[in-house]
Amino acid sequence: MFKFFSSSNIYSLIQNLINFINSIFFLILIIGLTFALVLSPPDYIQGDSVRIMYVHVPAAWLGLACFSFITLLSVLNFIFKIKNFYFINKSIAPIGLLFTCLAIITGALWGQPTWGTWWAWDARLTSMFVLMLFYVFYILAFKFLNKEELIVKVSSIIAIIGSINLPIIKYSVEWWTTLHQPASIKIVGSSSIHSTMLLPLLVMLLVFLLYAALIFLMKYKTEIIRIKKKNIKRT
Amino acid sequence: MITDFIAMNGYGLYIWLSFSIVLISCVAVYLKTKKTLKKYENEFLVELQNLSVEEKNRALENSKVAQQIVAANSKIN
Repeated sequence: MFKFFSSSNIYSLIQNLINFINSIFFLILIIGLTFALVLSPPDYIQGDSVRIMYVHVPAAWLGLACFSFITLLSVLNFIFKIKNFYFINKSIAPIGLLFTCLAIITGALWGQPTWGTWWAWDARLTSMFVLMLFYVFYILAFKFLNKEELIVKVSSIIAIIGSINLPIIKYSVEWWTTLHQPASIKIVGSSSIHSTMLLPLLVMLLVFLLYAALIFLMKYKTEIIRIKKKNIKRT
Repeated sequence: MITDFIAMNGYGLYIWLSFSIVLISCVAVYLKTKKTLKKYENEFLVELQNLSVEEKNRALENSKVAQQIVAANSKIN
C-alpha cells in the first residue's frame, strides 16, 4: 500500500496538480475578491470592517488545520515510520506559520476599528500567538538539528505538545470571557452567519486552500529533488 | 463612487491594509518557493551533467524523477 507514496509515483502527480491549480487559481481569486470587496453586504453592527473576515477567518482556519495535520502525520510517522510524512510535515509547516501570522495581523487590523485596540492578551488571541510560537519551534527543529532521527523525535514532540493548544484555541471563546466573538459558523448546529456572507467566505476559503496546496506541492517537489540530488550517484 | 469604494465607510485603511498584507505575503512566499524549487532543479541538472556518461544513463534509466526533471528543463541532451 505504501508503495503509492514512493517519490517517483508522486512526482508526476505533483506536476499535474500544480498545473491544474495554476489554471484555475486566478479565476477563483477574482471571484472571491469580487464577492469579498464588492458584492457582500456590510455587517449591521461592524459595517464594512467585516470584510476583513474574508481573509482573517480562512487564514486562521488553515493555520489550525495545518497544525492538526502535522500532528496527525507526526503520530503516524512515529508508528509506521513512513519517511514521506517527514517531508510532508516539513513542507506544510511554513504554510501553517504564514497563515497563523496572517490571521494574527489581520485580526489586529480588524480589532482596532471594532474593539478599539490592536491587541489584547485574551484567551483566543494569546492561544493563537502560542500556536505561532509552536510553528516557529517546529520549523527551527528542521533548521538547526542535523540528524533526521533527532529531527523526527523533536519535531514530533513539539507537534504533540502543540496540539494541546488546538482545542484551547477552538473553545477559548466559550471557556473564557474574551474580546473575540464566539464562532459564527458551526459544523454541527445552525450557523449565525447570513448566506450573503457565508458564500464569499467559502469562496475565499477555497482560494486560500488552493494557494496552500500550491505552495505545499512546490515545497514537496523541492524536497523530492533535494533527496534525488543527494542520491544521484546511487541510482 | 470609486472614492466611496476605496473609503469603505471609513474602514478603508484597515480593509485595504489587511488585503494588501495578505496578498504581498502570499506573493512573496510563492516567489521564494518557486525560486528555491528552480535552484534545486538547476543544481540537480548540474550534478547530473557532472556524472560520467555511464553514470548519467544509469541515473536516467533508474529514476523517473530524474527523467522528468530533465524533460521539463530540457537542458541536458
